[in-house]
Amino acid sequence: MLYKKTINYKGISFILLLFIAFFFLNSTVYAGTKEKNIHLWSEEEEEILNSLWIGSLPPLPESPSNRFADNPKAIALGKRVFFDSRFSGNLKVSCVTCHPENMNFADSLPLAHGMGTTRRRTMPLIGVAFQSWLFWDGRKDSLWSQALGPIESPVEHGFTRTQSAIVIIKYYKKEYEEVFGPLPELDIEHLPKNAKPSSEEPAAFKAWLSLTDAQKETINRIYVNMGKAIAAFVRTILPGPSRFDRYVEVLNKDDRTLLNGILTEDEIKGLKLFIGRAKCINCHNGPLFTDGNFHNIGVPQPPNLPPDLGRAEGIPLVLSDEFNCLSKYSDAKRDECSELRFMSTDTKRFRGAFKTPTLRNVAERAPYMHAGQFSSLHEVLHFYRDLPPEKRLPELAHGELTDEELRQLEAFLRSLSGAPIYAK
Amino acid sequence: MKRCLTIPIIVLFLLALSSVVHADEGHSKFTKHFQKSLFKITQKGLFSVEMIVKEGELKVGKNEIDLIIHDSNDRDVVDAKVEVIPWMPEMGHGVPEKPVIEEKGGGLYRVKNIVLIMGGNWELRVRIKKDDQEDMAGFNFPNIIGGQMHRHQMKLTPKPSEIDLSTVHLSSRKIYRVSYESSPSPIKLNKFHTWKIKIETSDGKPVLGAKITVSGDMPEHGHGLPTEPAMTKELGNGYYLIEGIKFNMPGWWIVNIDIKTSSGRDTVTFNLYLK
Repeated sequence: MLYKKTINYKGISFILLLFIAFFFLNSTVYAGTKEKNIHLWSEEEEEILNSLWIGSLPPLPESPSNRFADNPKAIALGKRVFFDSRFSGNLKVSCVTCHPENMNFADSLPLAHGMGTTRRRTMPLIGVAFQSWLFWDGRKDSLWSQALGPIESPVEHGFTRTQSAIVIIKYYKKEYEEVFGPLPELDIEHLPKNAKPSSEEPAAFKAWLSLTDAQKETINRIYVNMGKAIAAFVRTILPGPSRFDRYVEVLNKDDRTLLNGILTEDEIKGLKLFIGRAKCINCHNGPLFTDGNFHNIGVPQPPNLPPDLGRAEGIPLVLSDEFNCLSKYSDAKRDECSELRFMSTDTKRFRGAFKTPTLRNVAERAPYMHAGQFSSLHEVLHFYRDLPPEKRLPELAHGELTDEELRQLEAFLRSLSGAPIYAK
Repeated sequence: MKRCLTIPIIVLFLLALSSVVHADEGHSKFTKHFQKSLFKITQKGLFSVEMIVKEGELKVGKNEIDLIIHDSNDRDVVDAKVEVIPWMPEMGHGVPEKPVIEEKGGGLYRVKNIVLIMGGNWELRVRIKKDDQEDMAGFNFPNIIGGQMHRHQMKLTPKPSEIDLSTVHLSSRKIYRVSYESSPSPIKLNKFHTWKIKIETSDGKPVLGAKITVSGDMPEHGHGLPTEPAMTKELGNGYYLIEGIKFNMPGWWIVNIDIKTSSGRDTVTFNLYLK
């Protein structure tokens, strides 16, 4: 009996061991399949993931309107000007004031602040070389003409093109001439400094009109070349790879076990929503997560600001811009100005529409929207979800999203950060 | 005495008038009662349907119509179950929105919320069920010109698998046969494309000197194309160059090419599905 009993005990413990082993094995297998499921993407989804991947970013597009765009000496000159606060009315404002390089080239203010306060949020510069339209309303069609806007804005640099030409002649003669050839003759001692063709400042406009045509042309040429140098530098500011990009890179390789730990489960679920049911890729598509177009998504205008028509204001401005692609200051041939030639001029349709910003480094860039209306990604996502259906455009329709799903989307957006790369 | 005479005169006048109207319809049992209505007898000959389009003609967007239904004895058809289906015969699809029907009495049915999602050839199919009798009539509305409709009125349209993606199409009134070749191809998001189109008559002769305008849309969204493409060059032998075509969102797009020559104006619609 005793013998038998012992055997029984041994048997029981053996069975128990088996059970434990089975449970252990089972749980490992379970964990394995669970991870596998997370990383399971359909062929179509993988195609979309690849279209968003930084590896799909083509080489820098040509800049036909700026033949100095890739000139290393122009890049170096542009970089110095970008950081130089002598190009401002109070000697305190430079491009980096609103585009600090240690903050991904975008400040953290709801409204950009130079010599005064503007009516819109600073735009991110990452990957801006790929954009056809500049500013929230696309009132500029090249990076070089964009760069010249803030210089003469009374609330940004508070400067003039005439003063800029003088600073270039005084401090950048050698660098300028190495890129653009000899500086033209200009008697800077006898020029009215505060001279620019700007309806915002009648006195400065009057001073501008007092100049001879030759003087105006010389100043404009120097000013435009300065813009082209700044653009050459800004073009080099590109997104760096994020955790999302690493995920897609590994996904493209055969060994999927390596995918574990790159993105969290929440981030992956957020990514699935982003490219699927939440339909974020309707507008935030391509490797820069933007379609580069203008949309009125129904963001309320802050009550303390005047109404903002967005793209509807930008359309006539870019058409009449003295520095647009078809202007005499542009190096492009007519055929190379497709964006301007085939631009939609439907101002009614684009009332209150603003440019889709890139989502790369979006988590580092609060507050959000064209006037910094939302202070966090949480607010942005709730805004998109809670917009009443009658105010929501069909392209913004998404299935019912739960709080949990908004949290997952936010987690995914946070995986899009990477240190930007730019000309050192 | 005078009164006694007046009444018979009025009666006689009315009789004469009604006989004239009857004569118009070729002594049919059915009578057209409204001058401005479109008149149809249903397929099996059970009912007559008169359709009055509220704004004179149908348009892309929301429409309202009145239907007046009579039976073969010219009696008002009341309490019938009436259904109106907007249909695009060439594209084989209807619309996501369901028209709403209110019976007003005396055979009058008001149909609201007829939402046509794009330009082209439309048919309004009217189904009538009265007691155990069922019949239908189709009203054709050729070449409804597409345009910007009110946003927010649109919902999902057919699934991609039902969309005819072919690059050769007859125009909606079958005047022209049009094909396109895109460069670059396949079509990519957010890139400019140039289309070389070929226009022939339905019997295969190249069409020269056509005036061409281009528009497009995502029927599920209604925002139109992001750009304004244009015909920039007639290449000869029925070929034309269209520049400035761009698509900025994944999904179903349509491109309408409106063609005008001395043989008439007509529109051809191509479907695209972008990833």
